[in-house]
Amino acid sequence: MNSSWPAEIRAILWKEFAGELRSRTGLVTGGLFCLVTIVTAATALFNEDVNKRGLRDVCCSQIWVIVLFAAVLTLPRTFLAEEEQGTSDLLRLTARPHAVFWGKAIFNLIQTAALALLVAGLFVGLTGLEVRYPAMFLLCLLSGGAAMTGIVTACGAIASRAANRTLLAGAIALPLIIAPCQWGVAGLRSATGAGFPQDGWMAMLGLCAYAALTLLIAPWIYATIWKS
Amino acid sequence: MDLCHHLEKLKAQRYLFGLLVAGVTVWSFLVPDAAMFQHPEFARIFFWHIPCPINQQIFMLVGAYFALAFFLTPQSDLRKRMLCDSRAEAALDLSMIFAVLTIVSGMIFSQVEWGIYWDWDPRQYSYLIVVLIIGAYFAVRAAFPDPERRASHSSAYVLTATLPVFFLVFVFPYLPGIENNSLHPSGTIFGGGLKGDYLYVFLTVLTLVTWISVWLYRMRVRANFLEFELANGQLEIHRSLAAPATVVRPVSVSDENGKQTESPRKADQGVSGRE
Repeated sequence: MNSSWPAEIRAILWKEFAGELRSRTGLVTGGLFCLVTIVTAATALFNEDVNKRGLRDVCCSQIWVIVLFAAVLTLPRTFLAEEEQGTSDLLRLTARPHAVFWGKAIFNLIQTAALALLVAGLFVGLTGLEVRYPAMFLLCLLSGGAAMTGIVTACGAIASRAANRTLLAGAIALPLIIAPCQWGVAGLRSATGAGFPQDGWMAMLGLCAYAALTLLIAPWIYATIWKS
Repeated sequence: MDLCHHLEKLKAQRYLFGLLVAGVTVWSFLVPDAAMFQHPEFARIFFWHIPCPINQQIFMLVGAYFALAFFLTPQSDLRKRMLCDSRAEAALDLSMIFAVLTIVSGMIFSQVEWGIYWDWDPRQYSYLIVVLIIGAYFAVRAAFPDPERRASHSSAYVLTATLPVFFLVFVFPYLPGIENNSLHPSGTIFGGGLKGDYLYVFLTVLTLVTWISVWLYRMRVRANFLEFELANGQLEIHRSLAAPATVVRPVSVSDENGKQTESPRKADQGVSGRE
């Protein structure tokens, strides 16, 4: 407990990376889920007469639907795995709750950003989706990913000690991330040329505010249930 | 004596409430039709529809307040912490009831005015998400058998969910791209859309609905807390209501010769018969 905050957060982050590289659960589950969903969407659209506008709407919503479910599948694992492996008590003895939360949240943030970029890249490459405002497109993906990370990480922490933890984490996180998902779709639609660009920037600002608030509240909430 | 007096008072309140509801229902049909509705005569469901989301939000706020109070109370004061949890649960219970009532009354309103029960209007689905969020609170409660852990984790969930709920109710429907595409009118109450008799009827119904919801809330809190005290053996039951300390079960036993003797109950009956 004598170490500094950044050192503790860094240690938790490296622990998460090491665990992920050893098991590759998140990478394999999330990556496979993304690929399968994109292939399914592409198969469903094959030979269909979808116009440019229809394709844009389908792609923008599909990107967020895939990121949403991939996040719900993979992100709570950071907390759930601790309970399953029985390492949570050790963590409680060696680190402070805020540091644990931030270490895991940063890891989840990187994971979500990688997944979102992978999904969006595949959609752009495979479907020929035209991105008119690349900066807005990228920022919407990252801020939306951050908003989802805040909520899903908090829900993972809440559900981690329940008997049906994996199911519960998904069930309680999903309703909370539908709203940022809605903004994310609006932002991507504007970035691909639908409506006014101002609407896209507004959506992105909303996502940033949502992410900031959840990431500010969630560590405090986690600290309160840390030793219960 | 106290219990009888309380029950009498409760009965009187119930009659008074029934009379007031009947009165205000008649009054709502006497006020002139509202303008700007496709079928103004059916728009009177408005009087019962709007108090539901108002009460839902109030109870959500009350739930969040007691969830916060739970965490701010020292861990040593278990009784006070559990009382906070009981209050938060009761508030969320009522919030859920009012959220469902909002959706159901909104669907009837939607059928009458727009010709369809469910239109995927932004207001409709944002409220549906609110119902799902509150439903998830009860999923969290059901997942923890230990009362203290249940209280702490469900309070944490309420605090996490409060922001998205308020966003979905107060921000999302008013966003430029959403408000313009929604059929649902906005700013009816705060924009001065209610005037004269319509406003008075609405305020009376709101008062009545709030009255019954506060009454239900208090009963629920009492029931929740009694459950907790009963589970912890802290409840003092009145001697006349308490179960007997020892239970005598009738059993057949054999004496030294293998002959069966009478069970205690039979023996008891025999004594009373001889008497």
